[in-house]
Amino acid sequence: MTSATETHGTATAVRARELLDRNPASRAERRFGILFVLPALALVIVFRIVPLVWGAGYSLTDYNGIDAPSYIGLQNYAALATDPAFRDSIVNTLILLATLPVWIGLPLVLAILIHQGVPGGRLFRAVYFFPAVLSSVIVGAIFNMVLRYDGSFNAMLGSLGLSPVDWLGNSNTALFALIGVQLWSTFGMNVLIFLAGLSTVPEELVEAAKLDGASTLQTWRHVVVPSMVPIIEFATVATTIGVLTSMFGLIYVLTAGGPGTSTTLPEYLIWLEQGRMNRPGYASAISIVLFGVMAVLALVQIRIMTKNAEI
Amino acid sequence: MMKTRTILLAAAALAGLATTAARAEDATLTVWDWKSGDPVTAPYYEKVKADFEAAHPGVTVNYVMQPHDQYYTLLGTAIAASRGPDLVLVHGGSQAKERVGAFVKLDEAIADIRNDVVGWGEFADAAGAVYAVPLSIQGFMVYYNKDLYTKAGLDPEKAPATWAELEANCAAIKEKAGVACFALGNKEGFGADFFLSALAANGWTDAQQADWAAGTLHWSDAPVKAVVAEWLETWKTGWYSEGANSTLKFMDEYESFMRGENAHTIGLISDVAHWKQFDEFLGADKVGAFPMPAPTPAAEGPVRMPFAGGIGYAVTRFSPHQDLAIALAKSFAAPAAMQIFFESAGAIPASTKVDTSGLSSPSAKVVLALLGCCGASIAHNNMSTAEVEEWHRQSQLLFTGETTVDGAVTRLDEVQAAAKKK
Repeated sequence: MTSATETHGTATAVRARELLDRNPASRAERRFGILFVLPALALVIVFRIVPLVWGAGYSLTDYNGIDAPSYIGLQNYAALATDPAFRDSIVNTLILLATLPVWIGLPLVLAILIHQGVPGGRLFRAVYFFPAVLSSVIVGAIFNMVLRYDGSFNAMLGSLGLSPVDWLGNSNTALFALIGVQLWSTFGMNVLIFLAGLSTVPEELVEAAKLDGASTLQTWRHVVVPSMVPIIEFATVATTIGVLTSMFGLIYVLTAGGPGTSTTLPEYLIWLEQGRMNRPGYASAISIVLFGVMAVLALVQIRIMTKNAEI
Repeated sequence: MMKTRTILLAAAALAGLATTAARAEDATLTVWDWKSGDPVTAPYYEKVKADFEAAHPGVTVNYVMQPHDQYYTLLGTAIAASRGPDLVLVHGGSQAKERVGAFVKLDEAIADIRNDVVGWGEFADAAGAVYAVPLSIQGFMVYYNKDLYTKAGLDPEKAPATWAELEANCAAIKEKAGVACFALGNKEGFGADFFLSALAANGWTDAQQADWAAGTLHWSDAPVKAVVAEWLETWKTGWYSEGANSTLKFMDEYESFMRGENAHTIGLISDVAHWKQFDEFLGADKVGAFPMPAPTPAAEGPVRMPFAGGIGYAVTRFSPHQDLAIALAKSFAAPAAMQIFFESAGAIPASTKVDTSGLSSPSAKVVLALLGCCGASIAHNNMSTAEVEEWHRQSQLLFTGETTVDGAVTRLDEVQAAAKKK
């Protein structure tokens, strides 16, 4: 059953649209709007949509980059199902996704502390953000020196009487070392996002909570963090997409996907299959699967965000 | 009317001829490589360019040095687009053989230099047709630090000739010199490649090497499985420096060897990680060389060194100047230019016309002597790229204990079978 308020609202919107359509100035503005959007739209179509469709086509072929591709149906996808390297890359992705609460929680806590005015807050804000401006190759080169077997981190452990660990050459530690380095290099961005979000939390709500006798922790838990939900959701979506698509440089420099496949993620496997093993058709199939996974994750998260926004 | 038409036709024909002539004169040959910007090889590249441009007025040779670690990705893109270089530098073995479809067949064009250059087999397809002109010979030698031999109480002038002697030397080096017997970088898996080829050279018969190249000798067959088992055994025995799985072979392993932190390294005979580089760091009289013996030699006689055509220039099918590009590829192997390549970079040239008599390095003399008598195939050059990649992975997992020799060879058999199917 439609309420009277909703009916009134819909009628008003229709009336407004009619008025806009009749107004020549508005029509001109809309044309201008379309003109402004067109270049971006063209770029998206040419550099995103067309390659995506092209890749989907190649994924159904045995293309080796040299001979003309032959249609092989879903054989590449069937091969993926039995490819241990692909399976391992998916498992690694799931492990990576399982660490997402840390990627969100740590910057949130740090942002809250800075927002509360801890001494040296401005300095910390700059220091946290600094690694985000470094390229992943530079970050990789730095941590290669730190984490290698004869590197500075093991030297520090040695000075404490602890045995050295092959952080990047041991399957039990390599992926977590990689995740730690990526987290170090990118968490500053989320700190900034959360600081921006914190500045939008209404002061009167915080004041009201304090007047009602809420402790600082209770105020943050029941007032500030709930007000930050849309920001947290945005950061979660952006971070999820980021970790699934921007770790190639770090993998390439730090571990080369190894040992074995312990640090191989789908994006690295795509490069390996296409660049080293001359199998663009197979690499395209992995790309399409990765695209599907990311699309589903993004849609789920956007849906949750939209639902929360409506509430 | 007829006269006007004739004049117009003649003018058009002349214009066409002029255009063709102008195109021939204006030709630019684009050459892709990963070496032309290296100061060590620069004199060689400059010589080839100067000689070729002087012999072909109007032709410009344009070198484009690409990053080595991204080279085949970039080349794959150029080939897929059928656009880019006229000539490309490629490694012999699977990297060349899996791309022959993109290269021009050279058999007729190189007939006049075929007997003066060696190493063609690494750039040939299954039928023996040749697709690149070899520049250098690539091979794998064990280089050792004579000072560390002395420190371990070993005779520095007596290189091990058998596996048992090498094992005894390694035990002495570990105990008395206090360093690892071998430097090893296996982060990219290259350490395992070199080990495989070094052991196969003397552990496999020529017939087994041929079967390996044909894909009928499998990883689970005794000779191959023995090499995989030895890879693990030498690790367990403590032959290698710690952190091999996270150490780059190029150049962390070799820098470690040159710093005297390890007694041996499996190096090359081309223009990097070779006798010349080690001589410069350690001193020529402090570096020894020997071919890697096998635990169980497949045949009697001197220990052999695995070597074959190292790198070579191929002409792309999409080059608009194929004849000129072929001529330039041959120029790269011309004796005068090769002589400079040999002298400035220390690379063992593919051209047999190069004078190597001036060499004084003791380890280089060992290499040259082996070239003349005792060669074997490079086993990892005869693997598909998929097999090579899987061997890299399995070699690392053997070290971490996540797989066994049986598990590794079973997986490698699967990859070998899949690659052969294609």
